[in-house]
Amino acid sequence: MNETPDQLQQLAGEYVLGTLPAAARQEVEQRLTREPLLRAEVEGWERRLLPLTSLAAPAEPSTGLWLRIAASVQARPATAALRGATVPVPVKRWHRWWDDLRLWRGLTGGAVAASMVLALLLVSRPSAPETAYMVVLAAPQDRGAGWVVQTSMKRQLTLTPLHDTVVPERKALQFWTKAPGWSGPVSLGLVQSNRSLKLALDKLPPVQPDQLFEITLEPVTGSPTGKPTGPVLYIGKAVKVM
Amino acid sequence: MPDSADLFDYDAVLAACAQGDQQALHRLYQHDGRHLLGVALRIVRRRDVAEDVLHDAFVSIWQKAASFDAGRGAGRGWVYSVVRHQALNALRGSEREIAVDGDALDALQEAQADTVAEQFELQASMGRLHDCLAHLDSAKRNSIICAYVDGCSHSEIAERLKAPLGSVKAWLKRGLAALRECMG
Repeated sequence: MNETPDQLQQLAGEYVLGTLPAAARQEVEQRLTREPLLRAEVEGWERRLLPLTSLAAPAEPSTGLWLRIAASVQARPATAALRGATVPVPVKRWHRWWDDLRLWRGLTGGAVAASMVLALLLVSRPSAPETAYMVVLAAPQDRGAGWVVQTSMKRQLTLTPLHDTVVPERKALQFWTKAPGWSGPVSLGLVQSNRSLKLALDKLPPVQPDQLFEITLEPVTGSPTGKPTGPVLYIGKAVKVM
Repeated sequence: MPDSADLFDYDAVLAACAQGDQQALHRLYQHDGRHLLGVALRIVRRRDVAEDVLHDAFVSIWQKAASFDAGRGAGRGWVYSVVRHQALNALRGSEREIAVDGDALDALQEAQADTVAEQFELQASMGRLHDCLAHLDSAKRNSIICAYVDGCSHSEIAERLKAPLGSVKAWLKRGLAALRECMG
């Protein structure tokens, strides 16, 4: 680059201060990967100015934030490991994906993921005695976690989104469950893409280990057949918490 | 700043993250999460955005831990840099100036200008940086603190200090040069 050493220092300083506009910031970030001199200047400024971070008062994160982080990092190694095992989409009939061996194989990873998220959750929130089961619902394609299901001893179920799901027009998200031994999935109703949902499970048998929960894309009024008809967006197995 | 900052081994935690140890990432979150969220919140000024920033920064730390070279910089500085730049990218990408109305911004700025001045007096723990900042005139010092701590753009500094944009750019330039000379 054609800058004098002074100009390079200024650019690095303003990058670390944060006063560069978006386009200039991006340019510096690209240059950092291939310009050791600029990188050294930036590291120098990071080191010099770091004590200023002590001027910001600490703020208490909301309780769900670590769960979101844990679910996101949990999804990363699984993405690489399962890249060869994609599930065909769209799948037309419910029993095809339900019985799909590749999906089950993927879910083994999902269950491990769920239990590891749980382990981390329990470390951070030791006082959750009412939780009986937990399920992390992940996308079958890339294992990205999308929702968390928690059930309590009092037969209450909570479905919590980890991020927004984009729903196409004239479509809706429908929530289902199927325990081992059931002939098919049972609808738990339609869900809003970015809303938590609380349900009473008093009309169903108690949740069992490995019970499946999933969200499919259905017509706006829900599946016309009473069984899933659209593609599986998120799916996961129940893991016993206590 | 966490009291046990000196005892917490950031380099070891990052090395463990690079090996896929999620408990290590959780230890980092427990140790620094509150303070990192505070740093992000000062910059982006909205709690929901700050939490998204912290989420993205931790995912980024997890993914980039293997590329962190303990020989180049201390782990603590690296972690704070990741969070700050994540916050700055969120801020610069979102054109905050349009979203906040003028009166609200003025009130926020007055409240924060007082806080900055008071806090600066109290922070003898900033060591050499404190001494070097103290040698700057107040316009240069406030410009640098406004930018670094509150994520102020050139025009926001100009508005806050009631000064022309050209002066602000010159203050930052000379302030940085003086700091570099003072700190080495």
